[in-house]
Amino acid sequence: MTDNPNRASGTVGAGGIGAADDVPRDGVPWDGAAGGLVGRGAGGVGDAVAAEWWKVRSVRSTAAVLGTVGAFLLLCVLWSWYVARYWDGLPAARRGTAQAAPAEQPLAVSLPVCAVVLGALTLTSEYSSGMIRASLAAMPRRGVLFMAKGGVAAALMGAVALVATAAGSLAGAAIIGDRPVPTFHGAAADVAVHLLWLGLTTAAITLIAFGLGAVLRSTAATITSGMAVLFVLPALARLLPSPWDERIWSALPGSLANQIAGPPGSSGDHGALSPPVAVTLLVACTAVALGAGAYAFARRDA
Amino acid sequence: MGGALAAEWWKLRSVRSTYAVLAVTAAFTGFVVLLAFQMAHVWDGLAAERRDDLLLRPLQELGGWAASLCLAVLGVVSVTSEYRTGMIRTSLVAVPGRRRLLLAKAAVVGAVALAAGEAVTVGSFLGTRLVVGGRPFPDQQAPIAHDLPGFVLAGTVVPVFALLGLSLGVLLRSAAGAIVSVVFVWHVLPLLVHHLPEPWSERAGSVLPGGLPTQMAGLSAENSVYGDLLSPGAAAAVLAAYALIPLGFAAFVLTRRDA
Amino acid sequence: MIEVRELTKRYGGTTAVDRLSFAVRPGTVTGFLGPNGAGKTTTMRVLLGLDHATSGEALVNGTRYGSLRRPMREVGALLDAGAVHGGRRAFDHLGWLARSNGIGTRRVAEVLERVGLAGAARRRVGGFSLGMRQRLGIAAALLGDPGVLMFDEPVNGLDPDGVRWIRELMRSLAAEGRTVLISSHLMSEMELTADRLVVIGRGRLIADTSVRELADRFRRGVLVRSPRAADLTAVLAAAGAGVDTMPGGALTVTGLDVAAIGDAAAAHGIPLHEVTPHSASLEEAYMELTAGSAEFGAVTR
Repeated sequence: MTDNPNRASGTVGAGGIGAADDVPRDGVPWDGAAGGLVGRGAGGVGDAVAAEWWKVRSVRSTAAVLGTVGAFLLLCVLWSWYVARYWDGLPAARRGTAQAAPAEQPLAVSLPVCAVVLGALTLTSEYSSGMIRASLAAMPRRGVLFMAKGGVAAALMGAVALVATAAGSLAGAAIIGDRPVPTFHGAAADVAVHLLWLGLTTAAITLIAFGLGAVLRSTAATITSGMAVLFVLPALARLLPSPWDERIWSALPGSLANQIAGPPGSSGDHGALSPPVAVTLLVACTAVALGAGAYAFARRDA
Repeated sequence: MGGALAAEWWKLRSVRSTYAVLAVTAAFTGFVVLLAFQMAHVWDGLAAERRDDLLLRPLQELGGWAASLCLAVLGVVSVTSEYRTGMIRTSLVAVPGRRRLLLAKAAVVGAVALAAGEAVTVGSFLGTRLVVGGRPFPDQQAPIAHDLPGFVLAGTVVPVFALLGLSLGVLLRSAAGAIVSVVFVWHVLPLLVHHLPEPWSERAGSVLPGGLPTQMAGLSAENSVYGDLLSPGAAAAVLAAYALIPLGFAAFVLTRRDA
Repeated sequence: MIEVRELTKRYGGTTAVDRLSFAVRPGTVTGFLGPNGAGKTTTMRVLLGLDHATSGEALVNGTRYGSLRRPMREVGALLDAGAVHGGRRAFDHLGWLARSNGIGTRRVAEVLERVGLAGAARRRVGGFSLGMRQRLGIAAALLGDPGVLMFDEPVNGLDPDGVRWIRELMRSLAAEGRTVLISSHLMSEMELTADRLVVIGRGRLIADTSVRELADRFRRGVLVRSPRAADLTAVLAAAGAGVDTMPGGALTVTGLDVAAIGDAAAAHGIPLHEVTPHSASLEEAYMELTAGSAEFGAVTR
């Protein structure tokens, strides 16, 4: 059983970086009968995910995105430190009304941007280099490849968002100490829920950008469109006559996280939607973008 | 230099992405004018005392803001598409003077961006004015000739963003990296600066590129994330620096790096 | 005229070109040979001012490429035919190149005609086949009617018709008195195209020679058959030749050429049935020259 047919498909794309050939996994023998990871037909889902994971961690753009997140994490620390000093300098009378954005604010602003970039590049970089052909030769089941790519990118970005915001928030709490700044002193459970949803929306935005990338197939166009959705549309929506300004602004992907679970202690206006509606909308947006992307990816010539 | 300019101009007008960017920019301006119809409609339905809160200016300024992003993307892809395809080597073989090549590219992209920027800002202003007609919006009382120079100045930020995009494209050689960096300066940085406590938010907001045209026109930065601490001359100098300093870095790197 | 003098190019810790010197003269096709990774493309990139030399110099027509005012009128180059913007039409691609060097756009139509792409001038390059892209790249090189031409692996991926077309084009360009440098890793191709050869391995010069000289250098003696082999062996040995007896009775003679062997045999009345000068094929000569200098060789077991 050394000439496993599953392997034959895996070696076609030799040459492309990590083009799915023989991803070694400790403890999983190559014998097709032994592991549930080796699926039926040409390339199982497990193989595709392993290959995509290899791809994503072997390119510099991933490191650049993670580096950016790290830089903004540093900014969170700086911000907290600044708020602490600012608070100490405030006269006691003004402390009651003073407002300061929570520690993770720099990350909350930049994570969607990073998510758009990572989600877009996952597919568009392969189109621009032509490596998509090697990938498809190695993993001809397009649905599986598409899911593996999107899944890996979203999982990575969601996990990074969770870890970074948690670290930023903890650092912020440590730096502020016992100063009663409201946005830095939410209940642990509330903060956890807020950060969890921040991570999940980051993953969702990654998937939306990924789907968009499958439709547009151009890095520049996808990232620009993503930025338009994140930044230009909200500004446009604000100009619409009431009540449509609020309604449309609330429904945009970038505004959903805070409506599902806003930062505790913050009194800002987060939008008009109730948490369940916002969650539904987030899922719907993601599904539509992924569906359109999957349709384009499956139907078009590579 | 004439040959290099003509070649860059030919390059720019023979790819579809240029037309895509200009089409999106034009469509956005059209959309702004359409929104003005809606504003006029709202105005007509509003009670007199609530009309004082209805401002047209944010809508008018939106065109130039969005055009900045679009033309910055044009600046980025004018360079990164050459790096992506390897055509940069063909370009450097044809025009081995690297400073000359960069200058020609910057001149062509800058000129196109300036034309587009002026068309968008002046077009948004005149178009929205035309649409609302005689309705006395509180911020549209001045005659057109009085407000027009402000919008002409607002158009100058568009080529600055385009050149910033071009320089970042040369420095990073990646469309994704350069576009994200431009977006950072264009929107993320203003958002972050806006969150700074006073007086720092105003100080930092005064030197962001998006806020410089208002200061060049000597207007106040009310209702915006930007500040207004600079004199018109200083604002113009800072705006020019946003275009020229990155371009200088790009020239430095381009002449020293292997293609 | 192309001159490379003591050229060294390092990328970080790896030395791609190591004190390389050679010259390419007009009127000939010079093959620039070496295994993959030998430094051929790097040398060409330095010659074209794309990469900066770590030390030494690479000159075309006596000057650095970067100091030429209108370089395409003096040097035409094809580096990577795939390096074109796919969204641009063939005419536009050559058009901007022509304008950058003050070449009239009428010339664009001429070169498109010469490379056989006149019918595809209005098509987007993205839809071109490899052969068509190669022709487009050659059209770009010919645009300025330059006296010096450099082609990096021009026959890569071409069909036999395309290979022959390029071969004839190169020869006719050299016959017009131009300097033509073609890099290749295939000796068999250069054997048919080139007059002179510059062979490099691991960035160093291995041979700078003509095709004929290289063939002579790898002469492997003369094969001789005679019914009186033993007598002939004694006669030739006395004349100072080395003689080996092959299985089947044939002799391999070294140290004497065909004429000297014939004269010696005739002087002693020994009949000869066959006298054949034996030389290694150029392919073998090349393999021998570059043995050990391939960057990534296969391990033979």
